[in-house]
Amino acid sequence: MKVLPPTMRENKRYLAFELIAEGNISRDDLIREIFSASGSLLGDLGSSECNIWLFAFDNLKGIISCEREHVSQTRAALATISYVKGKRVSFHILGVSGTVLGATKKYLEGADISNPEEQSHINE
Amino acid sequence: MASLDIYDLNVYSVPEGKNTVEEMAALAKRFGYAGIAITNPHDSCKPEKASVSKGLEILSGVELRVDNASRLHGLVGKYRSMVDIIVVRGGSENINRAAVENPNVDILTSFGSTKDSGFNHVLARSANENDVSISFDLAEFIGQRGGRRVRALSNFRKDLELVRKYDVPFILTANARCLYDMRAPRELIALAGLFGMNREEALSGICTNPQRIISKNRHSSKYVFDGVEILDPSMDVVLDEGDGQ
Repeated sequence: MKVLPPTMRENKRYLAFELIAEGNISRDDLIREIFSASGSLLGDLGSSECNIWLFAFDNLKGIISCEREHVSQTRAALATISYVKGKRVSFHILGVSGTVLGATKKYLEGADISNPEEQSHINE
Repeated sequence: MASLDIYDLNVYSVPEGKNTVEEMAALAKRFGYAGIAITNPHDSCKPEKASVSKGLEILSGVELRVDNASRLHGLVGKYRSMVDIIVVRGGSENINRAAVENPNVDILTSFGSTKDSGFNHVLARSANENDVSISFDLAEFIGQRGGRRVRALSNFRKDLELVRKYDVPFILTANARCLYDMRAPRELIALAGLFGMNREEALSGICTNPQRIISKNRHSSKYVFDGVEILDPSMDVVLDEGDGQ
């Protein structure tokens, strides 16, 4: 198969994120919730334009890819997620990049997951 | 955006919310806020003291929940000198009206929709005159789905029209009751975009307007009363010398 010429490729943005969550979240549950949230907020039409895709997810951090012109809708859809399979969660987008490598290097490597309940006790 | 000071002026802690002030502050710091106001209801506990914790400003606040407009004015007077931020939870026409007509009120929240005699052009004009901000409480549609979210979004759209026409000051808030209710500033901007608010307006709702409210209520040491403040003492010296010659 011929490779698609670069000008015809989709223009994507990669959103590095962390989940502030009550417990561990499985990848499958998260995917289900992301699609359900974007389906509910943006509808089938909006979701197809955004083209949200969970690119990678491990240990409450990951990368979501979406269409370049629809980063703001994607953010909004993710921000409406407050439960994943009965557990409370909150999405925190760490940054947006044009490449997976950029998103990983800039926003994910070395950054530790936030656990505010633990953090607040450190200095007490 | 990193250099801007972003505030959420309507956050709850224990006993109204589920997490302590320290926990909320730690997450707010991570999300990039410069400060949060803890606004627990007046009948649940004493207002939180203002402080600075690990670089995050914690403002003292109170949320007044009353069903009687005359009682509201009394409570506003009582709390004005105690806290930085006074939020009034509206709902009925009387309370909404009383809140926007009292210049000592900072923020009116949950004022209801235009349809059921909530926010309207009369209140908008009054809010502008008395410099009372209205609050776009994004929690009203973050956790909702279907009909309720549709209604919340369309109400906000109408409110935004009034805000633009009458130049009403406003704030954006996630109205967090627990850690997982909190949203980062950029997410708030994206959510506000859902009902037609542009980026500049959203930024004024989380940055410039909250800053203005805070500086309005926190007077410098030179403040005497509105319009009068003590000037630099070195100016007196200059004047005295001038008199002597």
